Formats: sequence, C-alpha cells, structure tokens
Amino acid sequence: MIDDSENWILSLYRTSEIAGSLFFGRLAKSMKPGPIQRDMTKHFADEAMHSWYWSSCVQEVGGTLIKIKEAYQEQYLAAVGLPANLMEVLAITQVFEKRVIHQYQLHSQSAMVHPAVQKTLATIMIDEKWHIRWIHDALKTMEPEYGPDLIQATLTRYWEADQLVYEKTITEHAERVHYLAAKSGGRMA
Amino acid sequence: MTNQSRVREKMAEFLGRPINDLDNHALLADLVVESFMLVEMVIGLQEEFGGRFFVQDDLKDIKTVGDLLMLFEGLVHT
Repeated sequence: MIDDSENWILSLYRTSEIAGSLFFGRLAKSMKPGPIQRDMTKHFADEAMHSWYWSSCVQEVGGTLIKIKEAYQEQYLAAVGLPANLMEVLAITQVFEKRVIHQYQLHSQSAMVHPAVQKTLATIMIDEKWHIRWIHDALKTMEPEYGPDLIQATLTRYWEADQLVYEKTITEHAERVHYLAAKSGGRMA
Repeated sequence: MTNQSRVREKMAEFLGRPINDLDNHALLADLVVESFMLVEMVIGLQEEFGGRFFVQDDLKDIKTVGDLLMLFEGLVHT
C-alpha cells in the first residue's frame, strides 16, 4: 500500500504520459511519412503503454488513481510559449524526456519504494532512453535546415525554462515532493 | 481558392470545427481545448503547405484566426 503523496505522484506520472502520447499521436497523424514520423509513432505508443503501466501499478500497490487536471508538459508551454516548428517541438521534448529520466531515477533511488513501483520505473526508463536517442538523432538531421547554432540555442532556452518549471512544481507541491525528497535523502531539488 | 481560404479550411479540419466558427476575430485560445492543439495545428499547417515557416517568436503576438492567416499569407504557394 502506498501513501497519498506517492499515490498523487504516480497519478501525475500517468497523466503526463497520457498527455505526451496524445500530443505526439496527433502530431504524427498530420506529418508526412518518413523516419521522424516513424519514430514519433513508436514514441507515442510507448507513452500510451507507460500510462497503462502506471495505472496497473497503482492498482497493484493498492492506490487509487487521481484525475490530475494539468500535465507537467502544459506548464512548459505556459513558461516558454508555443513551439512553432518541428525542431522546437523535438527540442522541448528532448529537455522534457531528460527531466523525466532524472525524476524517475530519483524516485527509484528512494528508500522503501514498493517493488511494483520500482519495476515500473525501470521498465519505463528503458524506453525513455530510446526517446532521448531518437530525438537527438532527429535533431542532428535537422542541422542543415535550421543550423546547429539555432538548435543548440533552442535547447538551451528550453533547459532554462525547465529549471523554472521544475522549481515551480516543487514549490507548489512541496508537501508531496518533500516526502519523496526525504525518501531519497534530500536529492529531489 | 485564395491562400487564406485554403489555410482557413485546413484550420477548420484540424480543429474539427465548422469553418464559420473561424472568422478573423475569433480567438485561437477559444477554439482549442488545450494549448497542445494549437501547436499541432500550426505544425500540421506547415507540413500541409510544404515547409517549416515559423519560429517561436513569430507566434508571440498571434491571438486570432486573422493574425494566423496573415502570418501564412504570402508563404503558402497557390
């Protein structure tokens, strides 16, 4: 059995996975066929599976899924504005995926993580590493079109925004994430 | 069909709304359930019309359907 704070965190993970899946799913539908569309298709399928993993996991550990209104990614858009082209979308996704892996690693290193949660984190992180790799490769293929400097500047801008969004999330949900930070020896922030 | 008519028609398709909802003064924020839909639509339109026209700064002041149509005007080839 997990407590309310962890139940909320797992529900937030689930909501963010659903949001990521729907976003890339709809985007893939409107894109022309090609390597990026192909890999984006796997990406959104993975994210949909991840939301299912979290739903199953919460059930297994005796929790209750909570409907969370706003996915983590939506705060990105509020912080940095709307990405306007595919390169910007992939850049912001690259930053987000690294944040997800960082967060999942922190969670998995926490003390007394339920084995079902631990297993789910490990399973998802394998996919997330592939997400980072395919997006990195896709951004490389865009260098002739956008230029490496613009791509790097875009990534840097989103990194800075990510820091702000993460800090804001920690502040807003201090009680819940403090609990996780305590479990992980204070490494949350 | 004019460039603006073509773009407006595609916008209606993306948003799943009747084209009459998309008059020039309609606020984009009122036409979408969530902001992700705007991103999808803008990128989808660029894919549809054969290019990647915009960067983030271009969208900074875009509030209405008319604003977006003006942005596409001249970039969409007939």
